[in-house]
Amino acid sequence: MALLALAAVLALTAGAALGSVPIPPGDILAILANRLFGSPLPPAMGPGYPAMVMDMRLPRVALAFLTGAALAMSGTVMQSVLQNPLASPFGLGVSSGAGLGAAVVIVTGLAAGAAGTVILPAVSLVCALGTAGLVLWFAGQLDRGAGGVTIVLIGMTASLFFNAIMDLLATLSPAYAQRIGLWQLGSFSMREWSAVWVLLPVTAAGLVFFFGHARALDVMTFGQEQAQAMGVDLRRTRGRLIVAVSLLAGSSVAFVGIIGFIDLIAPHVARRFFGASHRRVLPASALIGGTFMVLCDLAARTLVPPREIPIGSITALLGAPFFLYVYFTGRRRGRL
Amino acid sequence: MILDVKDLFCGYGGPDVVQGVSFSLAEGERLCVLGPNGCGKTTLLRAIAGLLPRRGQVLLDGADAACLPRRALARKVALMSQLAPVYFSYTVYETVMLGRYPHRKGGLLDRDSDADRSAVRESLERVGLWQARDRAVTELSGGQLQRVFLARVFAQDPEVILLDEPTNHLDLKYQVELTESLRAWTARPGRGAVGVFHDISLALVFADRVLLMQDGQVRYLGPAAALDRDLLGRVYGMDVAGYMRATLKRWE
Repeated sequence: MALLALAAVLALTAGAALGSVPIPPGDILAILANRLFGSPLPPAMGPGYPAMVMDMRLPRVALAFLTGAALAMSGTVMQSVLQNPLASPFGLGVSSGAGLGAAVVIVTGLAAGAAGTVILPAVSLVCALGTAGLVLWFAGQLDRGAGGVTIVLIGMTASLFFNAIMDLLATLSPAYAQRIGLWQLGSFSMREWSAVWVLLPVTAAGLVFFFGHARALDVMTFGQEQAQAMGVDLRRTRGRLIVAVSLLAGSSVAFVGIIGFIDLIAPHVARRFFGASHRRVLPASALIGGTFMVLCDLAARTLVPPREIPIGSITALLGAPFFLYVYFTGRRRGRL
Repeated sequence: MILDVKDLFCGYGGPDVVQGVSFSLAEGERLCVLGPNGCGKTTLLRAIAGLLPRRGQVLLDGADAACLPRRALARKVALMSQLAPVYFSYTVYETVMLGRYPHRKGGLLDRDSDADRSAVRESLERVGLWQARDRAVTELSGGQLQRVFLARVFAQDPEVILLDEPTNHLDLKYQVELTESLRAWTARPGRGAVGVFHDISLALVFADRVLLMQDGQVRYLGPAAALDRDLLGRVYGMDVAGYMRATLKRWE
């Protein structure tokens, strides 16, 4: 776990240091020290460095790390709550719901201007929660026990349905198609500290909340009936956890758009190295997700400069083969 | 009586699968539920464990089980369901430790207590899996997994264990060992067990008393030794005793 934390720090440093203009890590430290403690900047430093680090690089890597961590934790909890190693907030329709909300805001022109920076995240967060509520309600109507499989199926349906509406909106309003497309693949560009200051407490609170439910999550992976017979108040605990997941995943989608695969793969990597117990998997998957996201973002903006590859493409490019690997090796061992 | 079931009705929304079942379980007693497929045996266990909406009463030590919160209920009644697949690679030790869930205080700073650890060790030794404690449950055979879940039920330390076909997936030696370890467990003060069995001969080895069900209703409730063979044959639609005798004869 200490190694993982070190890797996270290294990735964050690399993320801040590398770019169109490489900045030595020592200078980044000096700039941070200058901001935090008022120590003097070294005279040899490039004149644009402080602004570049503080206004562009740092908020960006911080945001990437936080969204990666938030999505990874959401995925971990989703997989356990639904006893399905292939589940994710994506699969629950939360991400698409949030995305559709954002697309509607974009198309109606509400996203333009200063108000848009507040309205866009707010609407998509509300839509994320609404979608989760809708999926759970619908599953509860179909099947009184609201089994994990039912929820996954309804969630998948909702996800595809909302994505289709998003595509439709993009086609019908070509003026906004590019912006919607960008949202569907996610981006960390043009992000400011304000987003970080919202996501930081949300992500930290999510970690504490889930960690407090670690044992209940452990019990729930063995199936709903077993969990109940072992003393878990299933309906209430599951409801609370799913609302928390929607909040967490929804708020990250709200700021950076839909970024797939991290929520699916980070939990699997964490389990492979740290076992299945949630007291280890939750912090580990948060660190892995955060680190992976920072590295993906780094790749996104440095591979083909000055162009930027959408971050969702990078995570999917790396994530898809990995997903297949996990699926097939797991199936060969009869695990999935 | 550690368990009293009174006039229990239960189903899945349609017609009731369990129709007016009553029985009680004394301290130290092992009751086995027999009956053909679909007669409501599993549903009966699930209803007693509080997993299905039910009508009628379930009393634990004379107290209404419906008034107990889940955790308190889990400290009194444990259910070992039929074997289901496991998806996540917990170790054997971690899996059995989860049986301690209803005994924990919970929360952020929750740690395994000495009582938790010794309960887990004792339970694993009971089923002969202490040596395998660090193996992942995803790598175990069905029979080993079944024993892990039995150890988890032991670690849960309830007063009443409900077992749904616990000997499926076990070879003969472990079937006998499992019934022996259950016998030892129920010999402790204040314990009892209710088991659903498919294997009638094993059921008669396991149980003091038999509850024979047909179409959701009780056809016989009494000592295993006094179970009428003709009745057994009528309920199962074949001459069970004659078949078992004929099978034995082939060995001789």
